[in-house]
Amino acid sequence: MTYVRSWLLLVLGLIAGAAHCQPATFGSEWQFARYLADKEATDEALFVLQAFDKNTLTVPQRDSLAYLRGWLTYSAKSLDEAGEQLLAVSPASPFYLKAHYFGAYCLAFQNQRDSARAVMNRLPAPDSTLRELRAFEQAGLALLQRQYGRYDTLRQQFTYSSYALSAEETRLDAHRRALLAQKRRSPALAGLMSAVVPGSGKWYAGKARQGIASFLPVLMLGLLTWEGYRKDGPTSLRFLGFGSLFTVFYVGNVWGSTLAVKVRRDEFNRVYDNKILFDMHIPLRNLLNR
Amino acid sequence: MTTRFCLICTFLCGICSIASAQTTGDSLFAAGHYLAARVTYERVLFMSTEPVEQFSAAMGKARCLKQQGLNAQAVTFLNSQIQAIYPDSLTYQLRREQILCAYLAGQFENTLSLLDRLPYLHPDIPAPPLLMAVRVLSLNELNRWTEADTAYRALATYTHADTVQTPYKQLPRLKSEKKAQWLSTFIPGAGQFYAGKPGEAGLSILVQSAGLYFGITSFLRGYYLSAWGVGAGLFGSFHAGGVRRAEVLVRQLNQQRAAAFNSQLRQQVLKLIE
Repeated sequence: MTYVRSWLLLVLGLIAGAAHCQPATFGSEWQFARYLADKEATDEALFVLQAFDKNTLTVPQRDSLAYLRGWLTYSAKSLDEAGEQLLAVSPASPFYLKAHYFGAYCLAFQNQRDSARAVMNRLPAPDSTLRELRAFEQAGLALLQRQYGRYDTLRQQFTYSSYALSAEETRLDAHRRALLAQKRRSPALAGLMSAVVPGSGKWYAGKARQGIASFLPVLMLGLLTWEGYRKDGPTSLRFLGFGSLFTVFYVGNVWGSTLAVKVRRDEFNRVYDNKILFDMHIPLRNLLNR
Repeated sequence: MTTRFCLICTFLCGICSIASAQTTGDSLFAAGHYLAARVTYERVLFMSTEPVEQFSAAMGKARCLKQQGLNAQAVTFLNSQIQAIYPDSLTYQLRREQILCAYLAGQFENTLSLLDRLPYLHPDIPAPPLLMAVRVLSLNELNRWTEADTAYRALATYTHADTVQTPYKQLPRLKSEKKAQWLSTFIPGAGQFYAGKPGEAGLSILVQSAGLYFGITSFLRGYYLSAWGVGAGLFGSFHAGGVRRAEVLVRQLNQQRAAAFNSQLRQQVLKLIE
């Protein structure tokens, strides 16, 4: 009898072993994925997470899955997928708060400013620090959208005393001042200036070196044309050749000056957008990534 | 009795699971599914507490990363795997694999640093010819030929090869970038000629002469602005460009010569360790 029972137990054990070799349960796979994420084996962790069949999972499991996938893709700087995954985490999840704050930031980073604003308006803020953080993120977004009135309303919630926010709040105010102090330059005026004195339009647009660099060849070609005209007359090949070159360079310089205003403005905006996004990111990491 | 059977069953389950994961990893590797194989090896590392199994899995994952060309990632991964849990012999093998990955990743300084640490960490294991060869090759890539010569002789002695006629007797003759610049400054095109590009030298002479000719004739005919603006402008621009170009050409030539020498030497070193 004991012999039979022993064999029975062995068979049961082997069946259990075989079951163990099959794709494991959510718990063990989740643990494995967390282990890979902690090891910064991002590709492997995403591979494991992608293998889950979402239809067989409960809502909390799906939330955990979306959070970890979002966080890993965020770490890998794939912000489009990160935003999508992080914002899929439901309010019942313990990861909801962190996931949605970072998800909103991902949208802001990807120039989806209106969607980011909608998400930020719904962000949970259970205590005073998080309320200030939410206001800070919304204010940063308002600056990105160049909505200074909204920024001024939101910055009234800044206390400038929180260790995680005070430096960034001060910097955001400085960015606002710099953005407002930006000189409004006219492309038409830049073109006109370059028509009068070649290169001066680029100088006016804020590109002094380019201005000098375009002034010299236009001046030289102008002088060569004048010399050709004075010595050989208006029908000479020398006059016509240098005159054509001068015209091309002169017109190009006027056109380039009008474009330089837009290029300079875009560069300025890009620099400040990056500064604002950088400052929006620091408190998020300090307060939520613990 | 029952308890003993339960324990046996649990043990068998664990063994079955980890061993099957290792086998699956090997099959996936053989089939070229490297990412899936990496995950499977990581699963073994996650589940197993046995140093030998962990070692096999770590080596398996390093192999996958190498196959995918992620050699720098393999170096970092192996660094995290070199722990106290492994016996000395296994740690040595992991370190050896890390050195090979560092070489393949082009981290030649790191390779030499790892090689230098090996005799202190494993004083009882003599350096195998493969690692001696890696030292020679790394020194070669860094153009440290005097040290490479010494390392080559050590390898040749170990493998009972000729230590007198080493390839370092005929080092590639590298040219001086400074000399090329000076030559082009005073004799247009001479720097390019020195760099072994007579065609470019001829073109440089032609363009600079044309500029100079145009400048002089314009000046003599009273076209002073043309002489200055076109003649001198062309000559000056192409002269300055020619000086910089000569420097670039010499640098490229030196790189080619060093690469050719290293490639030839790589074959010889590989023959030695065969």
